[in-house]
Amino acid sequence: MGNSEQGKLLPFYVVIDVSYSMSGDKLATASKIMPSVLDAVAKAPILADKVRFGVVDFSDDAQVRLPLCDILDDGVRLPGLTIRGGTSYSAVFRTLRTEIESNVKQLKADGFLVHRPAVFFISDGAPTEQESVWRSAFEDLTRYDKETKTGFSMYPNFVPFGVDDADPKMLQQLIHPTGGTKPMRMFMQSQDSDAPAAIAAMAEVLISSVLASGESMAQGNSGIILPSDDDLPDGLSSYTADDDFV
Amino acid sequence: MGELNAGYPARPEPLDFGPRGGEETIRLPLPFPDDQTGFDYPRMPAGSPAAPPRPSPGPRPDRDHPAGSVADRPAVVTSGAFTPYAIGDPGRAAGAVVPVPDQENWHRRDSVFDGFSLTAPGDTHHVVRAASVRGLSHRAYGKPRQDEYGYQLTPDGRYLVLCVADGLSSGSRSHLAAEVAVRTGTALLVTALVETPPAELDWEQIVGEVAGHIVAYAKKRLPDGAGMTVDDVVGWMGTTATYAVVDLAGPVLDVHAVMVGDSSAWVLRADGWQALSEVKNAGADVATSAVEALPRVRQRDRPRLHASVRPGEALVLMTDGVGDALGDGRGEVGAFLGTAWRTPPHEVDFVGQIGFGRKSFDDDRTVIAVWPAVPS
Repeated sequence: MGNSEQGKLLPFYVVIDVSYSMSGDKLATASKIMPSVLDAVAKAPILADKVRFGVVDFSDDAQVRLPLCDILDDGVRLPGLTIRGGTSYSAVFRTLRTEIESNVKQLKADGFLVHRPAVFFISDGAPTEQESVWRSAFEDLTRYDKETKTGFSMYPNFVPFGVDDADPKMLQQLIHPTGGTKPMRMFMQSQDSDAPAAIAAMAEVLISSVLASGESMAQGNSGIILPSDDDLPDGLSSYTADDDFV
Repeated sequence: MGELNAGYPARPEPLDFGPRGGEETIRLPLPFPDDQTGFDYPRMPAGSPAAPPRPSPGPRPDRDHPAGSVADRPAVVTSGAFTPYAIGDPGRAAGAVVPVPDQENWHRRDSVFDGFSLTAPGDTHHVVRAASVRGLSHRAYGKPRQDEYGYQLTPDGRYLVLCVADGLSSGSRSHLAAEVAVRTGTALLVTALVETPPAELDWEQIVGEVAGHIVAYAKKRLPDGAGMTVDDVVGWMGTTATYAVVDLAGPVLDVHAVMVGDSSAWVLRADGWQALSEVKNAGADVATSAVEALPRVRQRDRPRLHASVRPGEALVLMTDGVGDALGDGRGEVGAFLGTAWRTPPHEVDFVGQIGFGRKSFDDDRTVIAVWPAVPS
């Protein structure tokens, strides 16, 4: 029997594209995401006790830059980001699957209950690999059949953020889940905005989602809460899995 | 305040529950240094063996008097202190949360507690402690305490009926559902027990009737309540409820209980905690917070829980604010509470104990415990 007396945690993974196209202001702005998250969490003690953050970056490969942790703990150093190469979505999906599985198992072994993880995925381009390759990796990360209990039971809620050349039709396919009681959404840079402003706005969305999720947990719900369209900062537009792009 | 300050009253009088903050506010001398405990007014039941000595009546420095005169006060022997309990890392919230009132429910108390004894044969007593404390997260976000407890003795004194209820966080009026479940449920059980022994109680009928009272309440009191379905009502005001009937006749207490939702019932035995039912979330990969809740009754043929509680043991009903931290009872929380409750604690200490700090546990906490009389 599980001894689960360590409390419930809500894991967030922040995934950042560090391919060549992200150079310059985009990377500089993306590097400020985690410090802003830390500041916000430090001011919310209820939340600070139950959220965990991990940072993964990716280009041709994916690297865990901050293993899932309590970011307010002494000794945690927020990672810097550096540009590396191309854009492999399959590499990051595989890394996420491995990471989530081992993190959740470890937390459970340590006596924690774990809410479904959330992945915030920031990219400015399209994968430089065959569609079938990233598709199958995404399936492995997100597919779970409750009836037959096959697939990945710890699948994350997946929230794509797109800037610059990101293809909305492509990123839209990464929204997960698309239905049920808590469908996720996608956030795209607005046409009248520039990429650094949009990335700064994404940090805001991320933080308000984390804060709202904490308050929602306080009200007995699990899982993440995304901001409504009315509360969206300038520079971003929000889409569901059903929105059409022409 | 002139007359009130003329002398130390023999005993504190209950404060008025009327609107607060006006000029009418009367500060009476309290046995605690200040009222940060969150209780409306502390009560020291007469005859409680652990009650601290009362200050003897006599001259008292005026509260408004400059501090310089304190040195003139005759030396009084005082004792006692309070340090918040923590089990392991209390977390950041325990120290950093700034509690704010719930501005939509001014008459909903932050915390309540009771402590009393029931006469048993041979000049002994069964001891009851009950407390319900608003969780840190409800304090931080200005939400009401949604937990509730209740108890009632049958008129013949044979059975003690207990209930703990945990209003669903998702409904803004769930504290009202918890109140109805506790009050009507205990009253219905007391009535039923006049004719029916506990083992033959028709629990389905009683639970159904409690659900009916919650729906009726909602239809009458909620905005647009008249046309609400049961599912609508659960969205506004839903609650768990765990009921127990304790037969006080023998030296060993016979307990019959039923759970709607995840408020749990335990016996604290010499060798540890024994749950009357399966422990929540045991075996799940990803935690769920879905629970059965009144007034929507899902389960049929609800398991009847039964236990015997011997002298030296305790029956403990709790909401998940404590139950989740207790887990299967074999960890640090189980060890702490198991030791603290080996014998009945002082009722104020009991409140402090269920309010223990532990990282990430910030839900409302409610416990009722009964210690059978120990033969002299």
